[in-house]
Amino acid sequence: MAMQPIVQADPAFISSDPEVLVANHVYDYLIDITADNTIAPRLAVDWDASDDGLLYVFTLAKGVTFHDGTPLTAADVVWTFDRLRDPDLGLPTKDLYSNIDRIEATGKLEVTFTLKEPNPFFLFDLSDNHALILKAGTTDAGTRFNGTGPFKVISYNPEDRIVLEANSNYFIPDQPKLAGLEFIFFPDQVAQVEALRGGQVDMVFLASSVELYSSLQGESGVMLVDVPTNQFDLVRLRADRPPGNDPKVIQALKLATDREAIYQLVVQGHGAIGRDSPIGPMYSQYYTEEFPVPERNVEAARQLLVAAGYADGLNLELHTPDTGNRPNLAQVLMAQWAEAGVNLELVVEPESVYYGDNGWLEVDLGITGWGSRPYPQFYLDTMLACDAVWNESHFCDAELDQYIQKAGTTMNEVARAAAYKEIQRILIERGPVIIPYFSAQFTAIRDSFQGFVIKPFWGRTDLRLVSVSGN
Amino acid sequence: MTVTLKVSRAPGAALIWGRRLACFFKRLYAKPLSAIGTTISLIFLLIALAGPLIAPYGENEIVASDARQPPSTQHWFGTDNLGRDVFSRVVLGARQILVLSGLGAFLAVVSGAFLGLLSGYRGGWIDEGLMRFFDSLLALPALLLALVLLGTIGHSTFSVVLVIVIVYTPIVTRVVRSVVLSVKSKGFVEAARLQGESQARLLFREIFPFVLPALAVEAALRFSYAIFLVASLGFLGVGVQPPNPNWGLMVKEARNYVDQLPWALYFPAGAISIVIIGVNLTADGLKRAWQAAD
Repeated sequence: MAMQPIVQADPAFISSDPEVLVANHVYDYLIDITADNTIAPRLAVDWDASDDGLLYVFTLAKGVTFHDGTPLTAADVVWTFDRLRDPDLGLPTKDLYSNIDRIEATGKLEVTFTLKEPNPFFLFDLSDNHALILKAGTTDAGTRFNGTGPFKVISYNPEDRIVLEANSNYFIPDQPKLAGLEFIFFPDQVAQVEALRGGQVDMVFLASSVELYSSLQGESGVMLVDVPTNQFDLVRLRADRPPGNDPKVIQALKLATDREAIYQLVVQGHGAIGRDSPIGPMYSQYYTEEFPVPERNVEAARQLLVAAGYADGLNLELHTPDTGNRPNLAQVLMAQWAEAGVNLELVVEPESVYYGDNGWLEVDLGITGWGSRPYPQFYLDTMLACDAVWNESHFCDAELDQYIQKAGTTMNEVARAAAYKEIQRILIERGPVIIPYFSAQFTAIRDSFQGFVIKPFWGRTDLRLVSVSGN
Repeated sequence: MTVTLKVSRAPGAALIWGRRLACFFKRLYAKPLSAIGTTISLIFLLIALAGPLIAPYGENEIVASDARQPPSTQHWFGTDNLGRDVFSRVVLGARQILVLSGLGAFLAVVSGAFLGLLSGYRGGWIDEGLMRFFDSLLALPALLLALVLLGTIGHSTFSVVLVIVIVYTPIVTRVVRSVVLSVKSKGFVEAARLQGESQARLLFREIFPFVLPALAVEAALRFSYAIFLVASLGFLGVGVQPPNPNWGLMVKEARNYVDQLPWALYFPAGAISIVIIGVNLTADGLKRAWQAAD
């Protein structure tokens, strides 16, 4: 398989898709998330939650051993999560798990979590990308790979490849199906596709690159898989200073945007058209199309700009990273908005520059890529709430905040769905963001493989059930 | 004779220059290769001047319904992935690339000529210092030097011009200096010096005419290299921002679609090749024309 090189090997620090993909096959999660965003057992075969939502008891699978031969016990799970939430270590998961009061081994194969506040998404949080179970006391997770997972690492050459062989002692019988995995590192995506064409590799992750996807269409022996995700490109305007502090301006930008054209041009009809809220159609239980998104109306947009004092046109710099579909989106917006009198100057930067020194939080107008998450609360808490850490649009709306708060704490599913509905209404009405589309994710795999299902967060894709026929 | 010349000085001079130019073009067109090169260069010059009149669409004009279409009577060079007319973008890109590289090459030639005259004629520590400094610049590949400079001074069209000047001035300086060195020991220069002519007069009236042929050829060569450099920088995505119709940037954007939309890549890439070949052939022709004049 061809993919970008991995930089981090310690599960606590992984972030990119390739890093998660490798770790996800060397280690196991306590609980897993399926391709359709539901919770599934992995090392924990069963669990119980108390009625007040504060106590969770997990039962671990029997007969699980680490690659070095030692058996998995509840102590390993406790150690792993204590490490992830240790405030002194400053790991990325520290805030995520700050709501955990105690973690205890209540039996050889039983772990009990006690929470400070009820958290409706706790099981999803336990399945966070970083939450792979390590052996208690591990100090060299960055260089040695001692997991319980379906594959063992045989060799790892940074910047070249990592080779895995099937773990014959895996706790689930008959898994994995494949004898081994070899991840070859290619920094360039076009080169990855060429390696697939040339038969050097069997599988390539195309991320949301529509162009690479369509370049492989009709290639014999190659199967293309696309999966809808909640990954989106966010066009946002700072709402705390001119010109964005006048709500008419963002309204004008929304009216000047032709979503259908963007959907056809930028993502070529894959994925879904966005409705300016991060609660996309993938969250079918929360997503609503009840509130109409205003149709494109260039004249109305122009009048709003005139009313806002920009009769001679509004000049703005649009900052965007040079990755994915974002430069294309920026160019299409530039053309569309120009018709309404908004003159954009594009600043297309490498991601290191765009995100460096928190520049992306400073600029007035920017396009930021947001990855797919198993539940929508994450986006609201980190991007749209008044005190959100990445409140890039510097937006603060009391009514919105109230619904975000409610959706994030209630244990009542009906009340949560109702709050999400209101949030979608408010964001269409007066939100500081434009979400033109939700991207699909693409993978190309040789058609001799079966059982391949990709997940919205590609790195979490499960290759345990993939098998190969022929040769 | 002298009186009439003085009276009708301006038209007379224009006439002489006109004749010289005609004669010059005659020589350029004497050989088929340089004729082809000159024609190509002139055509691109014309396109650069009249671009907006020729191009049927704007550089960032998106016709969503026409996206990803092969060449047709409607879109001569087809359309790209965003529905922009490739022909219009190639035509409009000509001005940008020729102006940037032309301006850069011109400034490099001017500063190179000045420094070359100075360094060659004066010699001594000025010559030594300048040459060692330029040697160190020349030790780096042009593109690498350009990337380092752009990284340092920031990406803008102005910095692209500046980079061309910095990258090519040393080369022009060396060429000019070598001619100056061979000329300055000649009898007529000595004679002029003994007559008490000023240094500036010596340099520009006595020596410079001998430098001119080599300089003209060098200018044309630098121009073609500068086009290549601007296109390369565009391809690498530095120095220009989308939706600029820089040919190199267009090649970069079309690269991912080469299987489905080959026209979006081949036309701008072809434009780069053709204009560089044209300018190079013109440079060869210039060399021959000057030699014939001598």
